[in-house]
Amino acid sequence: MMRSWPVIAVAALALGALSGVAAYENARPRGADWQEIAWPFPRDGWPAGRAFRCKASSCGEDIEVYVRPKLGFCNCDSGVADDDEVDRVADLDLISARFVPLRAGDAVDVAEMRGRVRAYGLNMPDGTPRAAIGIAASRRCDLLVAAAQGKGEAAGVQRAALAFLDSKEMTNWMIAAMEGR
Amino acid sequence: MTGLLKLAATFWIIFVACCSAAYAQQQVVGAPPEASNMKLVGSNDLQARSAYQPTIHHQGDRWIAYIGHHGGTDDIPSPVNPLTERAEPNGTSIVDVTDPAKPKYLAHIPGQEGKYEGGGAQMVRVCDGKALPKGDPNAVYMLRTFGGEAHEVWNVAVPEKPVLVSRIAGGLKDTHKNWWECDTGIAFLVSGAPDWRTRRMTQVYDLSDPANPKKIRDFGLPGQEPGSTGAVPTELHGPISTGPDGNRVYFGYGTNKGGFIQIVDREKLLKGPAEPTAENLRLPEVSRLAMSAFNGAHTTFPMLKMPIAEFAKDKDGKSRDIMMVVDEAILNECAEPRQMVWFADVTVENRPMMISSYTVPEASGNFCQRGGRFGSHSSNESMAPVYYKKMVFIAFFNAGVRALDIRDPYHPVEVGFFIPSITKATDKRCVTIDGKDRCKVAIQTNNVETDDRGYIYIVDRANTGLHILELTGPARAVAGLP
Repeated sequence: MMRSWPVIAVAALALGALSGVAAYENARPRGADWQEIAWPFPRDGWPAGRAFRCKASSCGEDIEVYVRPKLGFCNCDSGVADDDEVDRVADLDLISARFVPLRAGDAVDVAEMRGRVRAYGLNMPDGTPRAAIGIAASRRCDLLVAAAQGKGEAAGVQRAALAFLDSKEMTNWMIAAMEGR
Repeated sequence: MTGLLKLAATFWIIFVACCSAAYAQQQVVGAPPEASNMKLVGSNDLQARSAYQPTIHHQGDRWIAYIGHHGGTDDIPSPVNPLTERAEPNGTSIVDVTDPAKPKYLAHIPGQEGKYEGGGAQMVRVCDGKALPKGDPNAVYMLRTFGGEAHEVWNVAVPEKPVLVSRIAGGLKDTHKNWWECDTGIAFLVSGAPDWRTRRMTQVYDLSDPANPKKIRDFGLPGQEPGSTGAVPTELHGPISTGPDGNRVYFGYGTNKGGFIQIVDREKLLKGPAEPTAENLRLPEVSRLAMSAFNGAHTTFPMLKMPIAEFAKDKDGKSRDIMMVVDEAILNECAEPRQMVWFADVTVENRPMMISSYTVPEASGNFCQRGGRFGSHSSNESMAPVYYKKMVFIAFFNAGVRALDIRDPYHPVEVGFFIPSITKATDKRCVTIDGKDRCKVAIQTNNVETDDRGYIYIVDRANTGLHILELTGPARAVAGLP
């Protein structure tokens, strides 16, 4: 009995790790079914971008992502330097002017650009709450921004949105869009 | 020749003619300047430093130009100053323009290290010590930015030997287009206070004694203050104050997007509660005029109580308070909505209204194809009688400087222009096409100022230097010049 317990411990650890991986894989929206939808916001200073929706049946909850380049950004050298910059530029105000950051943001790479991502709680015009994330990345004097919203946890919205933006198709489009193509 | 060949030849001729016309507008080194009713009097290369604000000051029997610079370029981060034979980060050029035909470069005060808008010392204002309530009467004070990190006051009574008087720093995120009232010493410093949510807001200082700056308050728009949440309003570009007599400060927000003008009660701003709460920030505001999301407000130039000839026989509203708003183009080769000039009637302050606009016709010079920026950037800000309420001068990047007759601000009319020649120092401007840079060289007239004698000073963002101009022909008559 004494000789068998290390084997049991190793087996338990392995099982735990496997179940953890399985849970993570289940949560990831790999292969999630994202459908492009019409840009849902009125015209503003920048041209409209692209909008996508992933239904709950595919992503675990309804999530929408809005992404567009903003060509012409004054912080050519410092880039997206802090979370305040994300608050200012990431298009969250298109969804709702009332948003509150949930915590400090994190550095992120999107389409080969360095930037920041931050999670927010949104108060929609009809009073309902939403989880949202804002992303801003820059290259030289241009910005790429994205916002995503869902009814679930901000962490889930962020995970799904970043995975979607990391897809080859979206990366290629974002690189081209930053070149004005 | 078959019909098909004739058709192909016709298309080829049209194609060549079109391309030739476009390239005929491309500037080349050695070509003469383009001008109408304006002529070149003198120039200085400003050590090939990218230039922003010029301020021309009459001190003693001399006329001195103080010119702020952006940071250096990728190719030359710190040009050599021939006067010191040292490489110096772009800062402030001091040029004796007493004889405008022979401007003499006197001194360069280095600025913050860094390239483009990441360094230099863009902004300059000058006040005589004898005008300031507590200034040294023998001093001439120059207020300048030091990159994005500080504001500085220098004594330039001997412009060849400027002396630092004081420095206002404190972890700023940025600085920009300040305003300084010489008769009171009140300075509206465009800063980025570290705890505010915006890169550019206002720090109001009492600089009546420039050696001892006293902070009055921070000011901005509700939503920009520390601790606020939600959407962040457009950042400030710069204010212009009418001083205690007019009791108004006109703030311009935005660069090329989402701009608006904010009219502020100066006394309430200076004497109201300073704690930056949303309520306290709203208190001094008289009104706002929202612009199109396509445009921003670089310059808000007030021209109050302008008599309007067309309204002369009207029993009310014969004179109007007019505000000129100048947008800033920031993208090369017309990759954004047109940035231009707007005139607002702000007579009824709580109902300000845009009444007219002006832009350079693009086709008059194929400006979208010339390279660099095309669109407005800034105007002269001198309120000297020689031009005030009669003419304004607009820096229009690759379309040079444009002279406008604004005696009827409801119908501004261009009466002259000057596009300097490029030189070997003129820096390229690039756009990305298929992942590669495609660059062109064109003049980039960035800022303009006038002096009390009527000379017009334009400076170039693409390192071509300073050009001193005068009006000719019918344009002189508009200003009443002999």
